[in-house]
Amino acid sequence: MTKSKLSIGATAVVVLGMAAVPWIGSDVVVQFGINTLLLAVLAQSWNIIGGYCGYASFGHSTFYGLGSYGVAIAMAQWNLPFAVGMCLGAVLAVIFAVLLGLPILRLKGHYFAIATLALALAMTAIVSNIAIAGQNIGLVLPPLNNDPLFYELSLALLVAATLTIFWLTKSRFGFGLIAIRENEEAAAVMGVNTTLYKVLAFALSGLFAALAGGIHAYWITFLDPDSAFDIGLNVKMIIMAVFGGPGSILGPVLGAFVLSAISEVLSSEITTVAGLFFGLVVVAAVVLMPRGLADLFRHFRVQGWRYFLNNIKSYSL
Amino acid sequence: MRGKRPGPENSEAEIQTNEGIAVNLLAQVLLNGVLLGGLYAIMALGLALVWGVLNIVNLAHGAFIMLGGYLAWYLFTGLGIDPFLGLPITAVAMFVLGYLVQRLLLNLIVRAPMFNTLLITFGIEVVITYVAQLAFSADFRTINPSYAGNNVSLGPVIIPVVRLMAFAAAIVLTFGMWVFLLKTRLGRAIRATAQNLVAARLYGIEPRHLYATTFGIGIGLAGMAGSLYGAVSQINPYIGATLTAKCFAISIIGGLDNPLGVIVGGIVLGVIESLALLYVGATFGDVASFGVLVAVLIVRPSGLLGRTA
Repeated sequence: MTKSKLSIGATAVVVLGMAAVPWIGSDVVVQFGINTLLLAVLAQSWNIIGGYCGYASFGHSTFYGLGSYGVAIAMAQWNLPFAVGMCLGAVLAVIFAVLLGLPILRLKGHYFAIATLALALAMTAIVSNIAIAGQNIGLVLPPLNNDPLFYELSLALLVAATLTIFWLTKSRFGFGLIAIRENEEAAAVMGVNTTLYKVLAFALSGLFAALAGGIHAYWITFLDPDSAFDIGLNVKMIIMAVFGGPGSILGPVLGAFVLSAISEVLSSEITTVAGLFFGLVVVAAVVLMPRGLADLFRHFRVQGWRYFLNNIKSYSL
Repeated sequence: MRGKRPGPENSEAEIQTNEGIAVNLLAQVLLNGVLLGGLYAIMALGLALVWGVLNIVNLAHGAFIMLGGYLAWYLFTGLGIDPFLGLPITAVAMFVLGYLVQRLLLNLIVRAPMFNTLLITFGIEVVITYVAQLAFSADFRTINPSYAGNNVSLGPVIIPVVRLMAFAAAIVLTFGMWVFLLKTRLGRAIRATAQNLVAARLYGIEPRHLYATTFGIGIGLAGMAGSLYGAVSQINPYIGATLTAKCFAISIIGGLDNPLGVIVGGIVLGVIESLALLYVGATFGDVASFGVLVAVLIVRPSGLLGRTA
C-alpha cells in the first residue's frame, strides 16, 4: 500500500516537473517535448488495443489522420474554434472505429494486423479525393504561435491516456480485455461480451489517437493526406509500445521517451546514418529485451547480464 | 479527307469504331493486368512460403526484392549479364543472404510473440533501405536490355516483350516451386514442418537448418522477383514497403498453402489494379487492391483459396 502510494507520488512529481519544462527549457526542447508527448499518447493508445486486448493494430494512423482532419476541416473550412474541431475529430474516429471494428475485429493475429494496415493505406488515397478535405493539396490552418500551450495540451492528453490505462488495470473492463488477450474463447465462455469489449477498446484507443492527431494538426498548421495518414507512424507507435513494454501502465511512455531521445541524438550527431542506427536499435531490442524496458527493469537487478541470454534462450529455436 | 459530312452510315461506323476501341482498350488493360499479376505472384511467393512455414510475416520482403533488383542492375551494367540470364546468380546470392539472416538472427526469436517477429523484420527493412540508400543513391534505376522497347502485336493488343518474358519466367518459377514442394525430399520436409514442427522433428528434420533454408528460398525468390521487376519497372531504395503490402494482399487472396493460389492472387490483384486505374482514376489503384484485401479477409479469413479455418 505504501509502495503504491509512493510510486503515485513519484509519478505526480515527474508530471509536475514535465509541466514546468516550457518555463525552463529552450524552444527546441519544448518542440521536441510536444513531438515526444504526442508519440507517447499514440503508443499508449496502441497499448489499449495491442497491449491489453492483444489485437495488434497496424492501422492506428487512420485514427490519427481522422483526428487531424476533424480539426483541420472545422478550422480551415468552417471557421469553427479548435475545441469543436477536436470533438469533430474524436466523433469521426469513434464512429469509424465502431463501424470498421465490427467486421475486422473478427480477424485474428496477422490477419487483423494486415487488414488494419490495408485500411490505413487506403485512407490516404480516399482522403486525397475528398473535396472538403482539400484533396491531395491539403489544408492550411490559422496559425497559433504558442508552443507552451501545445506542450501543456499534449501533456494533459498523455496524463489522461495513462490514467485511462491505470483505470483499465483496476476495472472489470480491463480484466475482460486481458482475458480476451490470453484466450478469447475462454473469455467468452466466462461471460465476457467479447465483441462489445473489443469494439469499445478499439474506439477508446482510436479516440486518444485522434485527439493526438488534432493537437498535432493545429500545432503544425498544415495538413496533407500523406503526412496525416503516415504509415510509418503506425510502426513508430508499435515500436515505442513494444520497446517500453506492451500491456504495462508506464512502459509505452518510457519507450516513447527513450526512443525519441535516441533518434533525436542520432539525427543531430550523425545525420546520414541515423535511420540505419534506429533500425539496428529495434533489431537489437527485439532480440535482447523482447518484453520491453518495463520487464528489463523488473528482472535485470536479479538476473544481471544473464537476463539477455535468458531472453534469447526462451525464444530461440 | 476533307469536307466529308457525317451521314447516318458514317456515324454508325464511328460508333462501331468507338466501341471497338473501348473493347480493345479493355482487352489491353486486362492483358496488362494479367502480365503484371504474374510478376506480383513471384513477388508474393517467397513471402507466402516464409509466412506459411515459419509463421513470420516478413516486413522486409519488399526490401529484399529491391536488393535483388539492384543486384540484377549491377550485373547488367557492370558485367553485361542479361537480367533474365542473371536470375540464377541473383537467386543464389540472395539465398545465401536469406539463409544467414534466418540462421544468425531470426532463429533467435522464432518462438517470440507475433509483435516481436513483425518488429524485427521491420527493423531489418529499415536497415536494408538505409544501406541501399547509402550504397546505391536514391536515383531511379531501370535495367534496359537491347530488346527493352520491342513489342509483339496480338491482333489489336500490344504486348511488350520484356513484360511477356517476365510473366513467363514468373509462371515457370511458380510452377517449379509447386513441383519442388510437392515432389522433392526437401520440399516435403518444408511442408511437414509447416504442418507440425514437433512431428517433423521426430522424423529427423533439423529445424534450425530447415528454417534457414526455407527463409533462404523465400529471399532467393524475392531476389529473382526483384530482377524481373527491375527489367519491367523502375527501382529505387524506397520501393520495398509498398511491395511488401502488395505481397500481403496477394498472399491473403491466394492463401498460404499452395503456390498456384499465389498465381491466382497475383493475377486477381494485377487485373483489379489495372481496371481501377482505367475506370476509377489514377489514385484509386491502391484503394482498389486494399479494398479487395479487406473484403476478402472479412468474408474468408484464410484467403479465397486457402483452407477454411
